[in-house]
Amino acid sequence: MPELSLSLPMLGTASLALAMAVAVYAVAAGIMGAIRHDARLQTSARYAAIAVFMAMTTAVLTMQTALLTDDFSVEYVAQTSRAASPLWVKVVTMWAALEGSILLWAWLASGYTAVVAFASPNNALRNWAIVVLNVVSVFFISVNAFVANPFTLVPNPPMDGPGPNPLLQNHWMMAVHPVLMYLGFVGLTVPFAFAMSALINKRPGSEWMSQTRAWTISGWGFLGIAKIAGGWWSYEVLGWGGYWAWDPVENVSFLPWLTATAFLHSVQVQERRRMLKAWNLLLIILTFALTILGTFIIRSGVVSSVHAFGDGPVGPYFLAFFLLVVLVSFGLLMLRWDQVRDHGELDAIVSREGSFLLGNVLFLAMTFAVLLGTLFPLFVEAVSGDKVTVGAPFFNQVSLPIWLAIFALMGIGPLLPWRKASHQSLVKNLAWMVGIGLVSALIAYVAGVRKVYPLWTVGFAGYNFASIVLLLDAAIRPRMRISGRGFWSVFGQYAVESRRRFGSIIVHFSVIIMALGVAGSGGYRVDEQVRIEIGESVTLDSNYRLEVVDRFMEQTPYRVAGGVLVNVHRGNRQIASLRPKINVFLGQEQQPVPTPDVLYTVWQDIYLSVSGTVSPDQDFVVLRVVQSPLVAWIWVGAVIMLVGTFYCLLPKRRYVPVPARQAVPAS
Amino acid sequence: MADSPQPNSTPADSIRYPVTALDSGRNRVSKKIAYGLAGIGVLIVAGLFIYQALNTSLVYFILPSEHASNPSQYVNRRIRLGGIVEKDSVSFDDEQLLLNFYITDSIDRYAVSHYGTPPELFQENTGVVVEGGFENGVFVSDNLLVKHSEVYEAAPDGTVDLDMLRESLE
Repeated sequence: MPELSLSLPMLGTASLALAMAVAVYAVAAGIMGAIRHDARLQTSARYAAIAVFMAMTTAVLTMQTALLTDDFSVEYVAQTSRAASPLWVKVVTMWAALEGSILLWAWLASGYTAVVAFASPNNALRNWAIVVLNVVSVFFISVNAFVANPFTLVPNPPMDGPGPNPLLQNHWMMAVHPVLMYLGFVGLTVPFAFAMSALINKRPGSEWMSQTRAWTISGWGFLGIAKIAGGWWSYEVLGWGGYWAWDPVENVSFLPWLTATAFLHSVQVQERRRMLKAWNLLLIILTFALTILGTFIIRSGVVSSVHAFGDGPVGPYFLAFFLLVVLVSFGLLMLRWDQVRDHGELDAIVSREGSFLLGNVLFLAMTFAVLLGTLFPLFVEAVSGDKVTVGAPFFNQVSLPIWLAIFALMGIGPLLPWRKASHQSLVKNLAWMVGIGLVSALIAYVAGVRKVYPLWTVGFAGYNFASIVLLLDAAIRPRMRISGRGFWSVFGQYAVESRRRFGSIIVHFSVIIMALGVAGSGGYRVDEQVRIEIGESVTLDSNYRLEVVDRFMEQTPYRVAGGVLVNVHRGNRQIASLRPKINVFLGQEQQPVPTPDVLYTVWQDIYLSVSGTVSPDQDFVVLRVVQSPLVAWIWVGAVIMLVGTFYCLLPKRRYVPVPARQAVPAS
Repeated sequence: MADSPQPNSTPADSIRYPVTALDSGRNRVSKKIAYGLAGIGVLIVAGLFIYQALNTSLVYFILPSEHASNPSQYVNRRIRLGGIVEKDSVSFDDEQLLLNFYITDSIDRYAVSHYGTPPELFQENTGVVVEGGFENGVFVSDNLLVKHSEVYEAAPDGTVDLDMLRESLE
């Protein structure tokens, strides 16, 4: 179908141009509609937002068609796809390089804008919020339209392309992690837009945050899960047996998550106590600005990474948008300062709001420290010309103490009442928590944990676990007494009626699990290189025996792999067969990718990665063997966190006990 | 996190909360000063702490000749040494898993000892970056990165454009 293939670049470029034009119109109509109080213009802006989404959907479908039909006359396809790749790789190749990833972001941004335009209730904030969202759409679409057009026509199309970066096509997580990340970024744009609208409309109360609560929680959830998914990808693909390296790319996406987490907590103070108005606005502005700053740092080639996609032309563009966002939003905040200043004051530091505020300060301190460490090499180079990197020790030294303080607050904060805590209940609760924390740390010590941070983490994990039990006890016991019903019945009612509260307990529980996973794998990871003759076996210090049975080769139309079959024994029992290998993707022969194989267990992972080569003329193999205790707890914790986040988002329902013997007491 | 439904924004947003008797006048000012001083104290401590942490974990990226011109600056520091794998200098002990070679920028050269197998694309005359530190005149590396896209060949007179080399290794 030569006619059709020829038209794909045109169709794509035209869709982008149309989306761009309509988005600009939507911004203009929204602003005019607001200034003139013209409802028809405002409505027109809303419909325009939907039209933008449809045009962007056309662009995305065009890109997918080009990828799936191997249309190498589209430059993006020629540079990143390959005819022999499996279907799923072709689909996700859309976000395997710069232009396509911006396309995905722009598409999701326009989609969220359309949903807000269509579904959010008609009120004072809606119009300006849609304007802000459309401005964000205009920015992303314009990046695609002007500096990173994925639909550029290749006059003499090649017969085939190189395929996406082997590190990306080597794992299905590539289909998931970027999408989750953008859903997080785009989701958190919605509360930002409503915050801006609140400032413009001089309504800096809590309506902007209560209206966007679901967007905030879901965006935060996506961002967190995306980060952990990225960590798991790193674990499964990169071959060093770790999941977090304080790499600039990891850091910059960690920053908006930190501020968003702070925001998630401090909005409750404003909803409850009408305090921290300016603080909440600051946090949501920071979250959005850091998202853009992070994209600038990653995509501009300032730092090298699998995410950098080379020295793209988009760097200055993102930097300019970042400066615009910062200037306009902080300018607005200054302009409205008189309205956002707090009039209420903290009654006492030892209160729910006091602990949330302290936690917020800690989250922000961590944000600052990580940002400083990430940007410091740029400062040094600008000042002295020296090339430096800031090593992981800096980030660990700075963030671990802050994290432990946050972990400590996480236990006590939710137990404190608003306004002011009574001395008596506080002391009683703390006594339980500290007692159980000490016992946990003692058990860990006896079991052989001697390192400082893992020991503290275990202690605080016990302390936090006690806190959750006390929280549930305080909620359920009085309800049982009043209603005279049994534990499970009351528990069910509490869980259904107090969705956010119960969801937050689940999320906090998942944090305990993940903290233990990080402490175990971070503190007690054993990383060694082991030489094993083919057919022989080697016993590790940990009493696992690795038996290299044989070499093997695999070939598919798009990939060649060489590896070894390793039987893992514990005592006299064979517990697993692992197949670490090296993949070579055709079209990307210059970058062979080691593909580790992992035995996941509750207490300890055995991670094998082929180091060097596997070849028929070599009668031994060198394996990188990484043993990380508790690392699986991180992935399990992530799933629990997802469940808790989702639980918070379920619509509120009233619990009706099956045999309705008596009236349900109001909570 | 409320157990009961929350009212949306109300005029209460702009209502000044009643000040309690304890919280009036001078008390309030001195409270503010105390908070301010505490804040400044915390910032100073945090600043010192961060400075200290940064100072000890900076990893310099340098070429052999840069190290040779000022070795004392890099004593007991972790560095990333970039350069070219010198021709005919590579040996690999596959029992001890020790990879030995010379890294050079055509001006100065250092012996490198790396624990681990040579990466797939490691070969003579390729650019590499090794991370580690000097021990008894030998650079002991625990991380070896091959910069595979370029092959460096010295000009006929044996010189290398250091700026180009630097840039291609970063």
